[in-house]
Amino acid sequence: MRLAFWLYEGTALHGISRITNSMKGVHTVYHAPQGDDYITATYTMLERTPEFPALSISVVRGRDLAQGVSRLPATLQQVEHHYHPELTVIAPSCSTALLQEDLRQLAAHSGVAQEKLMVYAVNPFRVTENEAADGLFTELVKRYAANGQKSAVPAVNLLGFTSLGFHLKANLTSLRRMLSTLGVKVNVVAPWGAGIADLARLPEAWLNIAPYHEIGRTAAEYLEQEFAMPAVYDTPIGVEPTLRWLRSIIEKLNEVGAGCGASPISMPALHDFSLDGMSAPSGVPWFARTADMESFSNKKAFVFADATTTVAMVKFLRDELGMKVVGAGTYLERDADWVRRELEGYLPGELMVTDRFQDVAKVIEDELPDLVCGTQMERHSCRKLDIPCMVVSPPTHIENHLLGYYPFFGFDGADVIADRVYLSCKLGLEKHLIDFFGDAGLEYEDGDAADETGVAAAAANGHSPAGGSTEGEGGMVWTGEAETMLKKVPFFVRKKVRKNTETFAMEQGEGEVTVEVFRRAKDSLGG
Amino acid sequence: MLQVPGDGSIIKEDNVTHSFCGLACVGWMYQKIKDSFFLILGTHTCAHFLQNALGMMIFAKPRFGIALLEEGDLSKHEPSLEEIIAEIKADHNPSVIFLLSSCTPEVMKVDFKGLADHLATPEVPVLFVPASGLVYNFTQAEDSVLHALVPFCPQAPAGEKSVVFLGSVNDATADDLRAEAEELGIKVGGFLPESRFEHMPAIGPDTVLAPIQPYLSRVAVKLERERGARTLHSLFPFGPDGTRAFWEDLAKMFGIEVDLSDREKAAWEKIRRQTDLLKGKQVFLTADTMMELPLARFLHSAGAEVMECSSAYINKKFHARELQALEGVRVVEQPNFHRQLEDIKRERPDMVVTSLMTANPFVGQGFIVKWSMEFMLMSIHGWSGVFTLANMFVSPFDRRSALPEFDRDVWLEGVMPSAEKVS
Repeated sequence: MRLAFWLYEGTALHGISRITNSMKGVHTVYHAPQGDDYITATYTMLERTPEFPALSISVVRGRDLAQGVSRLPATLQQVEHHYHPELTVIAPSCSTALLQEDLRQLAAHSGVAQEKLMVYAVNPFRVTENEAADGLFTELVKRYAANGQKSAVPAVNLLGFTSLGFHLKANLTSLRRMLSTLGVKVNVVAPWGAGIADLARLPEAWLNIAPYHEIGRTAAEYLEQEFAMPAVYDTPIGVEPTLRWLRSIIEKLNEVGAGCGASPISMPALHDFSLDGMSAPSGVPWFARTADMESFSNKKAFVFADATTTVAMVKFLRDELGMKVVGAGTYLERDADWVRRELEGYLPGELMVTDRFQDVAKVIEDELPDLVCGTQMERHSCRKLDIPCMVVSPPTHIENHLLGYYPFFGFDGADVIADRVYLSCKLGLEKHLIDFFGDAGLEYEDGDAADETGVAAAAANGHSPAGGSTEGEGGMVWTGEAETMLKKVPFFVRKKVRKNTETFAMEQGEGEVTVEVFRRAKDSLGG
Repeated sequence: MLQVPGDGSIIKEDNVTHSFCGLACVGWMYQKIKDSFFLILGTHTCAHFLQNALGMMIFAKPRFGIALLEEGDLSKHEPSLEEIIAEIKADHNPSVIFLLSSCTPEVMKVDFKGLADHLATPEVPVLFVPASGLVYNFTQAEDSVLHALVPFCPQAPAGEKSVVFLGSVNDATADDLRAEAEELGIKVGGFLPESRFEHMPAIGPDTVLAPIQPYLSRVAVKLERERGARTLHSLFPFGPDGTRAFWEDLAKMFGIEVDLSDREKAAWEKIRRQTDLLKGKQVFLTADTMMELPLARFLHSAGAEVMECSSAYINKKFHARELQALEGVRVVEQPNFHRQLEDIKRERPDMVVTSLMTANPFVGQGFIVKWSMEFMLMSIHGWSGVFTLANMFVSPFDRRSALPEFDRDVWLEGVMPSAEKVS
């Protein structure tokens, strides 16, 4: 038992519904108390679904429990009558799992043909969103994938693309664009938009592409074992990883092609991948080498996300933008070992693995990085700390479900991420120079951008309260002179200096920060 | 005069879906009672619900949290919350902690009452609030919160005649209601709940309880039984018709005869553009917030044709006057959503008032839609709320006519591949 305010991963039910809401002809029935279908709102609101998600609830009321009545058979009949799904997935909730009802037997009482029902009875106390989603998707692939004629032309499946995935549609578009440039057909995208018949013809493709470590990978592994289908598991985030990903696809497709005498695919000219077909496919390599981006070498980044994104972002920031990664972590404990292996040599310390956002916020506060790449929760934590943050991973907010084309995958994605890093970070050389030489004429910038305490900025502008002293964040009072002296410290370290000085003063038993205390602190802390 | 309509006027179906459980009340109750903490004994599902469906974000220090039951806790006899309570006290220093039940611990048969009593201290009471989806719908758990607050309402002496309004509203609305009452010569004893735990109103045998939200029947009955208070049975104060009946009937209970017909007329006049537009419009209300009966009654009075008004739970006594005013309208309790969906597709109402979960899909089907939850977050009470209330129904029509024609085959392509036909 612990006190929780907010959680990174959703429930098993959420994972299950992400798969079924992605699919055609598949309905989910939750056997759960009133209100557990709140999950529907995540689709209708975040994805703005113009149709009803195929999610129904077989409501469990206290009175039913007392009377030993179950509405599950009737709900299944109603779903059959109204929607005629090809398959209905029946899922328990926390409370109904505890009741240990035999869902299979109850489902059988509905009279709905058994082959149209599937009980996915995961333990909701043990299994969470991603594991449930990956597990159900794998079950569905196992159930329906069938031997069929191999496609005559090179074709791939894109696996793991799932409802509410981060920038899902844009990522899919980016991959489709690159595959089409290669001249490779997309056989099936699953689960997003796939029907049962599509799952059946998965083995017709030559190759599976499963870029998400969390969802789709297990199904691809199964297809590799059972149908001897090769797979590419890499994530094409960043320019170099995208190039490697393309080469890997070409190589594997050509291996399959050699077996059936198809002519080999070769890497097209790279400008073919660009939006206009006549430019570099990404601006990132040049951007990273430009003179003003030199300042990125000093910028410190912290990454906290799902497994796939943590790995990809750390590598992108360090390898392609030349930033310093001061720390990284993930909330997906079951994938932590994989992340550690992938990031060996990338992190100055241990990978942080936690699902407590407060712990992550604490690390960010201690490190005061120049950029945080995180989830919507880190965005909140950073807003409080006035640290730039870009959201790179679920859990997301409605603000992360935008209309425009903002992929993270592929060449297009590398440009999007680099732009966001650039816009998020406080700007480089120009601002440093001006700030370094003082704040004449730029007071508004301090109040506006840095906004350390508000009070401090007001004080510097001559609106200081009586006595000319102000109160810092830690409740420590700064004299007017000490505050002025602090203003002379370059803005990008000012916050840290303020904090360290206050800590020093506190340790020294000082009640306020005077010029004298500030000087001693500087001496003691090494400038 | 109470007139209980016959059974025939309410159709009962099998369940409410696409609505929230009682935990949803945390969303507004923790903001209303400013020195409180709401602790839910629940699972990952409860936490996920609060952070997603209610769009709740954790800013500085949220005054609600979940004592998270994990697998290892299931086999324990009784959950131990001492450490969590200590953590809450240290971080938040609340005057009161509400302990909310949820489905899983109820299935585990946790003795919540005993647990709350055990955790309570004279300084910081811990109050049990039944809220689980096994029993309670959306707004109904506010009733449970108020129920729990009753022992903290001082006893008002006999002879002290005043009104206590039942239901949480924001301060501006509360001020308006208070001023209106005083203008009519009605002494105001306060609101249940007030904004601070220490300030709950005194209630006694001469207190008149005036419910301003339609989902608070249990606390009214409890106060009648325990304190001998009397409950106003009138329309709820929404719209010109409801507001007039509410104040006239309330005044009557204080021996004051008032005729507010001019005021009602003026209020209708003020929203003439809106009612002109609503006249003859067919409106369908699916069950969600339990505010459906008074909202439908206002629409009915405004000249709209209510095709169906459904609600999770209807109390024939508490809602008697609203039901009476809806005579002839199809009223359904515990509606079956699948049936409603078919009816709506067939009958093609001009507007569907429906939940967060179903609003966009109905729009996608070409309907004009109003989110039912919005009515809980807007000041629509009393005379001052009339304009807002009327506009809330009208703005979706205005908006629709302001936007260009919409060809769904063109503009919805690829938005939701799972809903497209199997090829």
